[in-house]
Amino acid sequence: MTVSALTRPGERDRLIVKLSEIDWIFCFTLCLIAAAGGVMQFSIAGSSWMPWAAPQMIRFVIFFGLMIGLALVDLRVWFALAYPIYGVGFLLLIAVDLVGHHALGAQRWLQAGPIQIQPSEIMKIGLVLALARFYHGASGKTAQLSWWLLWPAFLILAPVALVAKQPDLGTALLILMTGGVVMILGGLSWKIITAGVLGAIAVIPPAVMFGLHGYQRQRLLTFLNPDADLSGAGYHIQQSKIALGSGGLLGKGYGLGSQSQLNFLPEKQTDFIFSTLAEEFGFVGCVSILLLYAAIIFMALRTAYIAHSHFGRLAAAGVTVTFALYVLINGAMVMGLAPVVGVPMPLLSYGGTVMLTVMVGFGLVLAVRVHRYSEVTSGKGALL
Amino acid sequence: MAEPAIFFEEVNERQGVFHRRAFVLGGMAGLGLLALGGRLAQLQLLETARYEKLSASNQFNFKLMPPPRGLIVDRDGVVLASNRPNFRLLVAREKGVDVPGTLKTLAEFVPLDDKRQVHLIRDIDNSPRRTPVEVMEDMSWEQFSAINLRAPELPGVSADMGEVRVYPYGGAFAHVIGYVAKVTKSDITPTGPNSEPIMLNPGFRIGKSGVEKAFDLDLRGSPGAKKVEVDAEGREVREDPQGDIPAITGKEIKLTLDADIQLRAEQVFGDESGAAVMMDCRSGDILCMFSAPSFDANRFVRGLTTAEYRALAEYDHKPLFNKAITATYPPGSTFKTMVALAALDAGYDPATTHVCNKTWFWGGRVWHCDQAHGVQDLRGAIATSCDIYFYQCALWVGPDKIAAMARKFGLGQVFDIGIPGQKPGLVPDTAYKRRTFPKDPVWHPGETPSMGIGQGYTHLNPLQLCVQVSRIANGQRALHPRLIQSIGGVNEKSGSAWGDLDVNKAHLQFVREAMAAVTTGNGTAAAEADLGLGPDIKMAGKTGTAQAVGYHGGTGAHGAVGQWKLRDHAWFICFAPIGNPRYAMSVLVEHGGWGASAAAPRAREIMRVALLKDPEIRAQIEKPLPLPPVPTGPGSGDVVPDLPPTPVDPNSPVGLPQGTPT
Repeated sequence: MTVSALTRPGERDRLIVKLSEIDWIFCFTLCLIAAAGGVMQFSIAGSSWMPWAAPQMIRFVIFFGLMIGLALVDLRVWFALAYPIYGVGFLLLIAVDLVGHHALGAQRWLQAGPIQIQPSEIMKIGLVLALARFYHGASGKTAQLSWWLLWPAFLILAPVALVAKQPDLGTALLILMTGGVVMILGGLSWKIITAGVLGAIAVIPPAVMFGLHGYQRQRLLTFLNPDADLSGAGYHIQQSKIALGSGGLLGKGYGLGSQSQLNFLPEKQTDFIFSTLAEEFGFVGCVSILLLYAAIIFMALRTAYIAHSHFGRLAAAGVTVTFALYVLINGAMVMGLAPVVGVPMPLLSYGGTVMLTVMVGFGLVLAVRVHRYSEVTSGKGALL
Repeated sequence: MAEPAIFFEEVNERQGVFHRRAFVLGGMAGLGLLALGGRLAQLQLLETARYEKLSASNQFNFKLMPPPRGLIVDRDGVVLASNRPNFRLLVAREKGVDVPGTLKTLAEFVPLDDKRQVHLIRDIDNSPRRTPVEVMEDMSWEQFSAINLRAPELPGVSADMGEVRVYPYGGAFAHVIGYVAKVTKSDITPTGPNSEPIMLNPGFRIGKSGVEKAFDLDLRGSPGAKKVEVDAEGREVREDPQGDIPAITGKEIKLTLDADIQLRAEQVFGDESGAAVMMDCRSGDILCMFSAPSFDANRFVRGLTTAEYRALAEYDHKPLFNKAITATYPPGSTFKTMVALAALDAGYDPATTHVCNKTWFWGGRVWHCDQAHGVQDLRGAIATSCDIYFYQCALWVGPDKIAAMARKFGLGQVFDIGIPGQKPGLVPDTAYKRRTFPKDPVWHPGETPSMGIGQGYTHLNPLQLCVQVSRIANGQRALHPRLIQSIGGVNEKSGSAWGDLDVNKAHLQFVREAMAAVTTGNGTAAAEADLGLGPDIKMAGKTGTAQAVGYHGGTGAHGAVGQWKLRDHAWFICFAPIGNPRYAMSVLVEHGGWGASAAAPRAREIMRVALLKDPEIRAQIEKPLPLPPVPTGPGSGDVVPDLPPTPVDPNSPVGLPQGTPT
């Protein structure tokens, strides 16, 4: 029972039809990556399910269910909730600035009973939704060049400023870049794009020198000259490169990565999980994982491509951009191509927050796919 | 089917833009991933060898293991310096280690008082991270195993078995062999062998004096390494015995010394101060070199306390000084042998007589002798050590000829025997006077008589006097002393390979006979130098009693009376047996009084050990019975008769040559 644009709307709303419309190959690929993460976390804990592998796998199963559940949510509901989600995220970002908990010198989360809420993560989805919502109602000309574009610019820059103030520069840049790419996809004029790129190039050097915290500047300078201080600031990158390089073609073997097993590799279960994998499974293992990521990006982008509604396209593409940026930034970081920023490798790294964000995002992507033919009213035609 | 009320071309235009740009976006993501793949290929395929090396150097540490130090043995292979196992307790500064708490815990197993703990805490804080500091040495096996059992719960604590230098004879060889001690900061040089990391190992010792210092690099060997897997904190995770690099033991150094002779020298000196040097007068090997009093070198290995060191350094008998080579003394009457040889060489008639009336007026002053010897020729004057004869004999020869002769016998010379600290002393002549005293450059005639009896400027060390008497005894070769027989099995140059002595052999024979007269009849040491080994084995010698202070003023004390520091130095130089000299020696007893009574008996006792140890000499002394006649009978020509066993002294340390009738 394949669905098409001509399928009866009532027929498309049946649960079984919706389930059949979910991209199960996509889901399977996600499982493969998450499983690889679990395997690595099992290894670096000294062949133990605790403390990382078991919680991570349980979390993935729960979030996988959540993703499937979100995939069934009608795109019009997503559309209607776009601004509210953004609004909640924004308010929480302000709240975190006022009462947030400190972690490593940064104010990043709110404690609500047993749950930690990291508003910047809500914002990653919220911004994509809000931008998609705006562009859905905007004409091509408006999207290209008009005063109306100040609204999406504000939608992007307000949370970026708040997150950067925490300070969490990595996430701020991630949000900024995601927003920028969504604006470009929305049809931004090439003039603005060119001006923006040139402006960014002009602004970065002074921003680095005067706008950054000491440790942030240190990380950046370390990146530019990694051999200057191998036992100090350059240690992380150097150890990561050693782990990668010493893995060779086929790796040292499962559970035999000396860099990670003997703790030379910092943050081995989170930010540097890819180095651990590279050490134990070598070039072959790394390329396999990268191919899985490429497949995810390709399938998600294709979902955006085939969506009929502009909201769906931009939402799916925005989530894909966020995901791709995660992969590229973390990959570049562990390989010594980018400064150390606290960006994990999605699905592979240990940690619930980012996994939740990614799985909710993919829930949205799947929802776009399931509801690719549904009509999303433009303008103020909210469902709720 | 009605489409929603949206402008179609608008929608399509937006869709088209999106599709184009999404396509570009996908391409860029693909390029980004490709770049990562390229970087992976660079790191993992092209540069993997380099990173494998770095990874291994992260993962594995080589823990240096001090090499076993080479042995030092005497000429018969008796061990004079060796190594014994030593259970040590070590504590290293590590991340998260509470040093005071750890020491408190350790104090439950080993004795560590509060004062020592405070001291150690400072040491450990000052040491580099993860460099262990020795907390205790020489633990018992019980303490060692108790600590080892608990070491895993006590981070930074380890107990290991090292080696420590041990000198089984304590003080007997302390001056020659020297000692090893802990490495101090000043021992470490920026380059060269003393810059090596093994120097920082708490179990490592370096030679600080004597042979241990002079041949430190030979004795040291090469450190081994233990391969251990470590984690990022430097903690040992696992050992990898297959990757161990074994340590190379240092070279064995064989000395020419003889432990029995040396130990006898230590015994006979008792509490006296002085030195004894014995040489084999055929090879030049130094069989004995002892300086009294001595000290226990084993204490230095552990590290002396300040009080111990002060006691040694401030004692007026100077136990830390190797008097055999480092101290010089006026040779006294032993120098008369040189005066006699110089005179004979200059054409002096040995039959020339002088009268000794105990005093002699010359040069406007009175010159003394210890007694009135009457009329004497040269030989008699040597035997009775008559000063008045030699004042005149020396004046006849002149200082320069005496000095030239003395130098032929090695006096005033430094010999390369391997160990540092030799003082050349002085054999004066007119050139010396000119050089040294610009205000009074003339050699006054009044200085010659003093020189003739070995006083005045003349200062020599006991090794030089031993070389002198061994050259007299040898009669042929210009012997050089040799202390190091071999290093790692490679023999050093023999002391007899230095060419011949440029002295008339008949003159030497004359002096040897005169020295024989010293130990017989009315000679100065007739009673004291009797070896008691029968008529064939006799010792010849020359006594010397040298005024230690105020020779010209005469404020010193003769004999073993008066204040110790003012007494005369007692000398005896000798060789034995007379007819066929084998051993020559010099004995000095610092402030010992008369040469005949203080030095000669000690020389005799040491000489007896050397002679009795020599199988050929023993054979001469013991005179085995002649063989009984071989019974002859018919047909016995083709039967080898059973020889009766030759009597063998069961106490004999060495086998006697069989059946050689004398």
